[in-house]
Amino acid sequence: MSTLEIKDLHVKIKDEPAHAEILRGVDLTVRTGEVHALMGPNGNGKSTLAETIMGNPRYVVTQGDILIDGQSLLEMAVDARARAGLFLGMQYPAEIAGVTNAEFIRAAINARRPDDDQIPIMQFLAQLDQTMATLEMPDNMADRYLNQGFSGGEKKRNEILQLMMIHPKFALLDEIDSGLDIDALRIVAKGVNLQRGPEFGSLIITHYQRLLDYIVPDYVHVMKDGQIIETGGAELAKDLEKTGYSHLKAGESNA
Amino acid sequence: MPEQRLPSTPKIPLARYLKQAKDTQPVSMVQVTAPDAVTVRPGTAAAFASDDQLDTWLRQDAQQMTIVEIPAGFTTSAPLVLTGPADGGGVLLIRVGEGAHVVLQEEWRSRGTLLGIGVQVQLAPHAVVSWLTYDALRATTAVIKRTADLAAGSQLNWTVAGFSQNSGASLVTVNLNGEGAQATANVGVLASGKQHIGYTTAMTNYGRKTRGHINQRGVITGSAHLIFNGIGHIVQGARGSDNQQENRVLMLAERARGDANPILLIDENDVTAGHAASVTRVDKAQLYYLMSRGLSYALASRLVIRGFLEAGLAEITDPTLKQELFETIDETLVNENA
Repeated sequence: MSTLEIKDLHVKIKDEPAHAEILRGVDLTVRTGEVHALMGPNGNGKSTLAETIMGNPRYVVTQGDILIDGQSLLEMAVDARARAGLFLGMQYPAEIAGVTNAEFIRAAINARRPDDDQIPIMQFLAQLDQTMATLEMPDNMADRYLNQGFSGGEKKRNEILQLMMIHPKFALLDEIDSGLDIDALRIVAKGVNLQRGPEFGSLIITHYQRLLDYIVPDYVHVMKDGQIIETGGAELAKDLEKTGYSHLKAGESNA
Repeated sequence: MPEQRLPSTPKIPLARYLKQAKDTQPVSMVQVTAPDAVTVRPGTAAAFASDDQLDTWLRQDAQQMTIVEIPAGFTTSAPLVLTGPADGGGVLLIRVGEGAHVVLQEEWRSRGTLLGIGVQVQLAPHAVVSWLTYDALRATTAVIKRTADLAAGSQLNWTVAGFSQNSGASLVTVNLNGEGAQATANVGVLASGKQHIGYTTAMTNYGRKTRGHINQRGVITGSAHLIFNGIGHIVQGARGSDNQQENRVLMLAERARGDANPILLIDENDVTAGHAASVTRVDKAQLYYLMSRGLSYALASRLVIRGFLEAGLAEITDPTLKQELFETIDETLVNENA
């Protein structure tokens, strides 16, 4: 079992040091085998948390720590964090021309393997075909340039394709359901559910209970004003669907 | 006959290059792989048009002269491969007959001290030409001018891949002479080491309802200096014409220097024209995305750079050539980072 620990995490935007902290003391532990949902109103730090765990250079940690199995990630570059087992399914994946989807995914797999043990091409293609079929993606998406000209839904599906091919220990999924119709949502959820097991933990950021009907979480957390203000089981998400967030107490002011 | 002038090449010291002694020892002609209907023969200086002082310099004591004639109505999807001599420059004239549909693949890997290379392609009415120019020159300095003249209703889709090691000047000139002629010039350049190289891509609308687009992409590493001039010119009388250009330069090293100079000259009212230019560094959002999947900084950079150049080289469909270009990009960046 592996553990991703967030301890008293305080975060600012690097280019705006005078601006108040976006995260103001987040504590959260995700173990492999668990699925956690992170909910809450817009602009309260959910994406900042995911991006900071991944190591997005836009954010700077001013206090606290992020650890996998007791080892701090703070001094590690983004690619080293990825190889340590993290995966971030992004809200706005970048588009890169000149690099095919298949070529990119193979490079990502090989980055986790020693130079003298790269994945054989036939084995890779067989896995890719099978995974794309599971996600009901057309064959030509393997040979198209990475995310270029992909629709919103195709990009999200492509994030899940990468997740399934890379097999990370911990997946942070940032609004993987936004912009998806109900069929696409079902397919994306199927992909995530196939990853579930004792070797896989996930933190799913969403605004909507709808996704959690398909991916039933073990824990639900609510973030407001840069702090986790409430934690419960799957039923918490159902309650929030009825009541909204406004009745929940705001985080303590840092003024 | 009035005295000829040099073509306009802002920031490129063309006059200085032309003062140096050009390589003049004779070499073999351009090698052409084509069906029998295409004729290839030695040329004479008189066959080559001379619009300016540079044309005259190129055809004078040219190391070789080659004329290729493609008959009217000739159609093939297999590329006609034209390979410049390994040890020199010279001039090449290609006449494409009326209504012909051809793919030209022109490659130069020549060595030399100061090479002069002139290439002229003449499109007869309604000819449709896809032209790929691949420069992988190993000369010290090269001065190159390529010109396409388009008659009415002809179409040119031209990609210039500049992967040479030399310094010097490269002119890409398109004249939209006949009504309704259309051309796109895509230029992708990788400049490295101590190279000092300038590209001037000029698109001129002479005929009515003509359409010309320039798209230049350059990547600069080491202490190289790359100059991109784009000159769009709509002359008086070319009503209903369109002239667009985009010039983008990506700088990878502190000592790299890049210039992107868009120039629009509009002498007619009833036209559309536009330009965009930028000199930037590597896109951090793209790097972050690739690295978030575990790719190292070095590999992620290579892929981002490849993607940037791809926008200038997208029309290259030959997989072998494309692979060679990608490998050249990778090797160049590895060497620069070593």
